[in-house]
Amino acid sequence: MTEVLAAPGPVGAPPDRDVLLEVRSLRTYFKVLDGIVPAVDDISFSLKRGQTLGIVGESGSGKSVTALTIMRLLDIPPASIGDGSEVWFDGREILSMPLDEMRKIRGNDAAMIFQEPLTSLNPVFTIGDQIAEQVELHLKIKKRAAMDRAIESLQLVGIPSPERRVKQYPHEMSGGMRQRVMIAMALSCEPKLLIADEPTTALDVTIQAQILELLKSIQQRTGSALLLITHDLGVVAEMVDNVIVMYTGQIVEQGTVHEVLLEPRDPYTMGLLESIPSVEKRGGRLSAIKGVVPSPFNLPPACRFEPRCPYAWDRCRTVPPDLNRVGSGGHLARCHLHTSEGAGRLPDALQRHRTALNLGRTLPTGGH
Amino acid sequence: MTKYVIRRLLQAIPVVIGITIVTYALMLAAPGGPAQKFANNPRMTPAAKEKFLKAWGLREPIPVQYGRWMGLLNPDEDGIAAFLGPSGWPNFLPTGISGADNGILHGDFGYSIDSGEPVGSRIARAALPTVILAGFALFFWLLIAILMGVFAAIKRYSFFDQAATVFAYVGFAMPTFWLGLMLIFLFGVNLKWLPVSGMTETRLSPPFGSDAYWTYFGTTPLTALQDIGKHLILPVVTLVVVNIAGDSRFVRASMLETLGQDYVRTAKAKGLPNRVVYFRHALRNALLPVVTNIGLEIPFLFTGAIVTESIFSWPGIGKLTIDGIRNFDYTILMGVLMITSTIVVMANLLADIAYAFVDPRIKY
Ligand code: SF4
Repeated sequence: MTEVLAAPGPVGAPPDRDVLLEVRSLRTYFKVLDGIVPAVDDISFSLKRGQTLGIVGESGSGKSVTALTIMRLLDIPPASIGDGSEVWFDGREILSMPLDEMRKIRGNDAAMIFQEPLTSLNPVFTIGDQIAEQVELHLKIKKRAAMDRAIESLQLVGIPSPERRVKQYPHEMSGGMRQRVMIAMALSCEPKLLIADEPTTALDVTIQAQILELLKSIQQRTGSALLLITHDLGVVAEMVDNVIVMYTGQIVEQGTVHEVLLEPRDPYTMGLLESIPSVEKRGGRLSAIKGVVPSPFNLPPACRFEPRCPYAWDRCRTVPPDLNRVGSGGHLARCHLHTSEGAGRLPDALQRHRTALNLGRTLPTGGH
Repeated sequence: MTKYVIRRLLQAIPVVIGITIVTYALMLAAPGGPAQKFANNPRMTPAAKEKFLKAWGLREPIPVQYGRWMGLLNPDEDGIAAFLGPSGWPNFLPTGISGADNGILHGDFGYSIDSGEPVGSRIARAALPTVILAGFALFFWLLIAILMGVFAAIKRYSFFDQAATVFAYVGFAMPTFWLGLMLIFLFGVNLKWLPVSGMTETRLSPPFGSDAYWTYFGTTPLTALQDIGKHLILPVVTLVVVNIAGDSRFVRASMLETLGQDYVRTAKAKGLPNRVVYFRHALRNALLPVVTNIGLEIPFLFTGAIVTESIFSWPGIGKLTIDGIRNFDYTILMGVLMITSTIVVMANLLADIAYAFVDPRIKY
């Protein structure tokens, strides 16, 4: 359980003041029996104060590892962080920071909510103890005052009769309630950044909607930035300003929520959107992305989506695609269709995507 | 909770009775008997031997012997009449009604066949040395095992973890009698740092437990305690080394499992220092299963360690048991077994109750 972090070398200049979180060429590896797996492979993005960013991907895409790396919650080893990786938070580089310094940020300026509300709370302590403990530590106030603060935060997340609830143990609450407690705990020290890793995946659909609504309203009220990690494009559509789509540890598409969800330009994102059931597609067959996510030990040599891509051609098997600028703003897609070599194929691909969305027909795949 | 405890106590009664029946039957079915000690005594005639057996009731059928020992039967009567006590009421009823005073049911453990001493006072005399030895041993081995297990888990695969693993397995594999003898040989015989055996220096003090001893203890308590302390070291070390293995491995496994739990990650994400994450959030949970284990080890305080006590001639229950077996001292053995099995059953219950206190999720 060592938490020694090899300092990732000299760091660059801090980002602008209004940028709360900036991740620069982040690489995270895992040492496993068979070798070293790159879980996060050269990721860069930034999040302005008070803004919201969604990271979308299937399991194994590296989205959770990205969050855990930012919070420095990975055990090192087996994890390791690549040279040149930088994470700037609130004007400071946090990967090279001593862990004691990092602990002052965790739970205080940067808080995290996890996927499993049922197991994320300690079963042998009361809810109140668990929240107050954090408040006491960071705000340096007395136990009594911390407990009052805990009651306030429970009230903030809409838990009825919080004075009574603080004395309860986690097992006396439902999953939805426990996730509210987790949110209350995360918000108790008024963080500048809230990282939510699949906050609703383990909950019922109706509870999911309530929790998302709660997160959104609190984020707007407190003005904290939100990094939302999810596999659910629907959640992203409702919650965030900007979106990053990850596949096998890389960013494959990045842009505003409007750009990515309504005008996707990477075949992987297109595929994800095509596989969402919707009212318009009633009667048609749902298309799913064919094949499976490749094993991290056996990644395709060039474009990692190539074996599953309906638009792939020779170049995709030899040259790894860069993140190419699409359109005028910050919309990026990792695909050769957006280079001069692929420009000719782009209109056809977009047409096929539109057809798939409208008619929901599985299309014959080309390029093989 | 109260209902649960009462139900468990009631359930315990048939269990203890069952244990006494089985052990009584097995013991008496074993070849040999109390008369064997006369085998090499040329002055013991067969007639005298027969008289000895008759006097102790050892010629009766096993069920009758058991019934008398238990207090179901009146030893002064034969046949059906034996079921009635001196006052004419059934013999198993309390003394005030039945007039009977024999057997476990009336609090009478009988007399040692070997020495003639009342079993109750013989066991009471052996209990204190065992509580002293087992208490120290249990305290140290639990303390060391928990610390070792916790640190081995926190620093998994470190040098300390591997050293602890090796130590645990060596200790586990080492026979108690061998380790005890080696310690005696090294520290008692060769280096002469510590006494070889016993609980007190017999040349300086009266035998432990006798009235004379307590008078001696009253006049020079410090010397007496020091003397016992010196005699304690080797047997305690033996017990600790041999018993650390199981518990430390258990704590390590439990702690490792706990460290992988989501709530430990939550605790880290809250910015808590490692000390708090490990010793408040993780350890509290990791020790839950250990509580049960400790509950099961508590009877050891009374039953004692048969092998260790014998090797170091420690005058406790373990040695009393071994001597009882050697002499076919049925009454002593049954007395020890009776008390031991009751304590084991009670300790189990206690462990379950303790569990409900440390784990808020458990409700009975
Ligand atoms: S680079 Fe080629 S294979 Fe990769 S996504 Fe684009 S078209 Fe598909």
